[in-house]
Formats: sequence, C-alpha cells, structure tokens
Amino acid sequence: MARPEAAEAAPLLEFRQISVDGRDRLRLEQLDLRINAGERVALLGPSGAGKSTLLAVANGSLTPSSGQVLWQGAPPARTGRQRRRQQARIGTLWQELRLIEELSVQQNLNAARLAHWGWPRALLNLLLPLETEACAAALRELELDPALLSQPVTALSGGQRQRLALARLLRQQPSLLLADEPLASLDPRLAAQLLALLLCQAQAPRALLLSLHRPDLLEGFDRVIGLRQGRLLFDCAAADVDGASLRELYGSEAGSR
Amino acid sequence: MRPAPPLLLLLPALVLVPVLLALPGLLHGGGLDLIMEFAAAALTPSLDPVVLRALLAGVGVTVGMALVGWGISLIAGLVLGLASSRTLWRTLLGHALPADLIRRLLALPRSIHELLWGLLLLQVLGLQPAVAVLAIAIPYSALVARVVSDLLDALPTANLEALRAGGAPGPAALLTALGPPLLPGVLSYGGYRLECALRSATLLGVFGLGGLGTDLKLSLQSLEFHELWSGLWLLLAVMLLLETWVGLLRRRWGMPRRLALHQPGVGRRGREMVLALGTLLPLLVWVGRALGVDPAVLLHWQPLPGLESGHWQAVLSLPWPQLVGGTLLLTVLAAALAVGLAPLQLLVAAPWPWARWLVGFSWVLARLWPPPLTLLLLLFVLKPSLITAALALGLHNLGILGRLLREGLQDQSPAAQQALLAAGSGPRLALFYGRMSGVARSYLAYGAYRSDVMLRETVVVGLAGAVGLGSQMLESLSSFAWDQLAALVLVYALLTLVGEELSDRLRRRLLRGS
Repeated sequence: MARPEAAEAAPLLEFRQISVDGRDRLRLEQLDLRINAGERVALLGPSGAGKSTLLAVANGSLTPSSGQVLWQGAPPARTGRQRRRQQARIGTLWQELRLIEELSVQQNLNAARLAHWGWPRALLNLLLPLETEACAAALRELELDPALLSQPVTALSGGQRQRLALARLLRQQPSLLLADEPLASLDPRLAAQLLALLLCQAQAPRALLLSLHRPDLLEGFDRVIGLRQGRLLFDCAAADVDGASLRELYGSEAGSR
Repeated sequence: MRPAPPLLLLLPALVLVPVLLALPGLLHGGGLDLIMEFAAAALTPSLDPVVLRALLAGVGVTVGMALVGWGISLIAGLVLGLASSRTLWRTLLGHALPADLIRRLLALPRSIHELLWGLLLLQVLGLQPAVAVLAIAIPYSALVARVVSDLLDALPTANLEALRAGGAPGPAALLTALGPPLLPGVLSYGGYRLECALRSATLLGVFGLGGLGTDLKLSLQSLEFHELWSGLWLLLAVMLLLETWVGLLRRRWGMPRRLALHQPGVGRRGREMVLALGTLLPLLVWVGRALGVDPAVLLHWQPLPGLESGHWQAVLSLPWPQLVGGTLLLTVLAAALAVGLAPLQLLVAAPWPWARWLVGFSWVLARLWPPPLTLLLLLFVLKPSLITAALALGLHNLGILGRLLREGLQDQSPAAQQALLAAGSGPRLALFYGRMSGVARSYLAYGAYRSDVMLRETVVVGLAGAVGLGSQMLESLSSFAWDQLAALVLVYALLTLVGEELSDRLRRRLLRGS
C-alpha cells in the first residue's frame, strides 16, 4: 500500500486502549475509538459515564493513565510549537463557554489565534483589536451583527454569547469540533438552533464529536457512541440506534433512582 | 485605543526601560566580592549556639513588639473605626458630621510612617520597649480604623433599616445587622496587619529600637554574613509560620482575601472567632509584661533640647522643591517597579513549576528583608542614587504585591486559561489572556493603594542620601533640628494625604471598570 493513501485512510483521531484512573474506579476503561474526517458523531451516556473525560482526553487537556492517542495516525508532538498547532486543530465548545469576560468580542475571537500568534500580536490585540475583517466574517457566519465586535462580552445576551463561543471556535479553524453537552443548559428552541449550527459547521472534511444527555436529538448525526461506566457499550450508525440499546445504556440508572 | 485589562497589568513594567538604561552608570565594582560572599553565606549560616541564642532572643523581642503593637492597634482601630463610621453616627444621632471630623483627624497619625513615630518617640521617651510598640500601634490604629469604617459604611443598610423600623434600639440594631458581616473582613485585614507588624518591628529594630532588626543591621555592617543569614533564616521561619497560620485561619473561617476584602464576607465558625478574640487580650498583657513594656513611662517625657534662634530661616531655606520632587519620583519609580515586575515574573516563569516556586521564594525573601538593609546591600555594588533607593523600596513591595497577585490568580476560575491551553496557546499567553484578565483591575487598584503606602515608606530608604524628604528628616532628627523636623513632617503628611486622595480616585476608577 502506498504511504499517502495510508495517511488519507488514517482516522483524524484514534484512541487505543485508553484508560483514565478516577478516585474509586476507572473513569475510562480500555477504550478504543476512531473519529474519521467528515464524521458527525454523537456521544451518549448517563451522567458519570465518562463523556467529559473522553472529550478532555481528546482535546489534550487530560493525559490518560494508559493507552495511546493518535492524531492523523501518529502520536501527537510532545511539546513546542508543533504540539500547539496540532492542539489548535481540535476545537472545543465548552459547556460554560469560557469566554474572557474582561475583553471585547473581537479580542475574544482573536484569542483563538493565540496558538499561531507571538507576543507582539497578542499584546497589540489588547490595544488595537486585530484582523477585523476575519472576525467580522466569523460573526456573520453565525448570523451575528459585526457591529458587536467592539462590544464587551458582558454586554451580550445568552444566545449571542453561545454564538460568539462558536464563532471563536471556527476562528480557530479546527479539523475536529468537540462539544461537551453544549445543549444541556439551553431552552429547547435555543438548543435546536445551536445543534443545527454545529451540524452545519461540521461539513466534511471537518468532524464533530458532541456529547449529549438526551437521546431524542440524534437526527443529523452519522454515528452514535454509547458510553456507560467508562466503557464503550455500542458504536454504530445513527440509524441503527434502537430502543433496546438505549434502554441498556440508561437502564440501571433509571432503576437506581 | 483603550488598553484592555491584561495589557494594563504590564504597563507599569515599562519603568524597567529607564531603570535598566541608568543601571550601568550606577554600577561600581567595589563590593562585587562582598555580594558574592553574602550570597554564598546563605547556605552556610552560623550555627554557633551563642549566636543562635542571641538571635532567638532577638526574634522573641521582635515578635513580641509586633504582637503587642498589633493587638493594641486592632482594639483601638476597631473603636476608632466605629467612631468614624457614617452609618453608625447616622443611626445613633441622625447625623454623620462627627464621623467626617474624626476621619480627618485620623488622617494625621496615619500619614506618618511607623519609623518616624518610632524615632520621634525615641527622642521623647528614651530607649524603651514601649517605644517600638507605640510606634507600631499609633499609625496602625488609624489604618485599621479607616478600613473598619470603610467596610462598615459599604455594607448594605437594608437589614439595619428593617430592624430599626421594627423598633429595635440603635446599638442593638447595629450590632445585629452589621456585626456578623463586618467581622470576617476586619479579621482578614487584621491578619494582614499582623504580618505587616512583624515587618515593621524588624524595620524598627534596624533603626536601633531592639530585637532582631538590630542584630541583622549590626551583622551586615560588620560583614558577618554567616550570622546575618542565621538571623534571616530564623526570621523566614517565623514569617512563613505566621503567614501559613493566618492563611489557615482565613480559610477555616471563610474570610475574604486581601484583594476581595470589599466583597461581602461570608464567615464561618463565628463562635471560634469571638473566642480567639477573647483570648487575645490576656495574651497581649502577658507578652507586654514579658517585654518589659511599662505604660508608666508614657508619663515621663524627656525634655527636648532647646532651639537656637534664627532657625526658621533655616527651615525656609531647605530645598523644598527638590525634596518634594525627589520623594514623589522615588515613590512612582518604586511603585511601578513593584507593581509591574510581579506579573512579568509570573509570566516568564509560567511554563516551569520550579521557576514559579523560585519566584514565590524570592518574594518571600523580598518582603522579609527590611528595605534599609536591601539598600545597604545594594550599595555594595551601586552608587547611592534615587534609583538605588527606588530599587530597595520597590523590591520589598514586590514581595508583598507578588503574593497578592498570586492569591488573586488562584482565586480566579481556571476555565478560560484551560480553554486557551486546549486550543493551543502557549502557557504564558494562556495565563496572560485567560487568567490575568480577571485579576488585572483589582490588582492594579491594590497597587494604587500600595503606592501611597510606599510614599509613606520613602522615609525608610532615606539613608541613601539626598533622596527626598525622608533623608532630610533623618538628618534633621539626628541634628535635633526640631523646627525643621516639624515642618518636614507636616509637608510629608500633607503630601501623603494628597497622594491618598489621588490613589483613592485611581482605585475607584480601576474598580469601576470599563
């Protein structure tokens, strides 16, 4: 087999036998997982199943106790600029958004470029916000008014903040989008809107891995992963998820209540 | 073109440019070997039992003076603070005028540094253990009073009004409505004052008022670096013990930290707090007696040497503009150094845990080491100048500000910083954008407050010669020129009051935010 083909065939992100130790039990147990370019994957599971841990390992903020994470078929660089650039390719939408409250909308958008910027631009951005055109484009893409650029983040409404966080994520130009229960604290209308936006942004070759609490929002996903007590329960096409596997996934949680 | 918060944090560090440019001109090779010898002695302190016993006795005296001076200031400050609270007078008399009057009066003792009080009292009372205690107690009482009344007046009065409307008598309503929310803030501030008192007591010792400071100064002057380090390590142990203990109590009682003092406090274990306060008084009496503090000496004033005629001309002919200008420049330089260096150091050290530890440790040493001793040490390699004095004063305050900055950063949520790290930012930029943003304004506001403390403190580096009012004051004091001294103290007090007003405005502007 020719090498370039092998590289193309390699999944974007691959977990090999990943385990993460927790306080009294393993938070993830010998997990194998592949996310391919262009896939839209939903991660389902009851609370405490290890969804957040899985996403934290995926975006590099948590080092697994054992096992190997591969990025495009190779172990990620350990340190330095190359590592930072690789990390920038994985973008995370955090549940509590993690905007920098003291900065303006534009400065927040540019914070996504810090992996590529040195100190001069990082400092200048705090005096004269940079790359206005690119930032305005990012806002427009999420149907936000570019006039918001100079506003402080604190002046935005909840829905606007949600979109800004997503715009910042896109400005990072990631190949893989991660989202940890982004819909959990939203009312049904906002949740549906955000999910639509996320699915729309996750066009091939970009991939999406999104954790969900509710199994009723699977429309639009290609694949569904069921996680229970740190172990993979199922990993199948979205169309193949049926009542039985869902009952098994959530079953004893309902029983224990 | 408004700099955003994290950038504001770095602006004071611009002062490094002129300082570094001027430094080569100030260097003299003379004492380089002495500095090396001093540094090497850190690892080989003297372990001679005679030396250690003497140093331990010195530490005992210093801690005792600090404790008694602090205790008196806490009690007196609480009383005076209540007396200068607008809310209190309004509740009891329906008028806040007496509060404003008492506030103004308290500005004078507050504006005079404890060292000056110490040297003045030394002339009046002679060398007495009570001198150092009083020197600490007088300005500290006024400082505590200000914080108490500010905290008290900043508390929401809705509860108080509800109780009054329900028919509760004034004093009972005040105690019930304002006592519990006030206590955590006051105790937290009191903890910091105790640490300050230990530093002040050491400083007073350097100027001959007894205790460890005196030993340190003598060791340094006679170049006994090994003995010097024995004393320093002892002082370090005491200081760290005290800081740890105060920190433990602060956490145990759920008290606000210094940067968050004005946020409404949420105290825990109120009974324990009251009990601790109750045991304080007998402890103070016991320590006071052990030190030989005798209140009766306050009644025996020594006659001051008489004045010669024609002195007022001499007072007027002092170079006032240079004195005032020098004092202000010294303050600004020292303040900018102290405020600006701390975030810079943390950023440089951000990627490596050992470097962060090293920065923290250098801060501990900096706040431990009294500024006049730093100055003596700097004079081994630098010529006496305004910048040399500013370095000594700035480094000491860097130790204090640095710790506050780090505490402030620890209290920030790490979420934004972690998000930036996960998105590929380097550790320095992630700290800068993600965490320093949140703390920038309150840190700078504290820096503004600290710079008026530094204005008062310029007197302690006065011995570098020809910098500002401080050195002129020490000179007038040693030549018994009372009229000069009185005029200098007055001008100094005036200056600190103006400085206080300015830094207050700056602080309010910073805290009001964008």
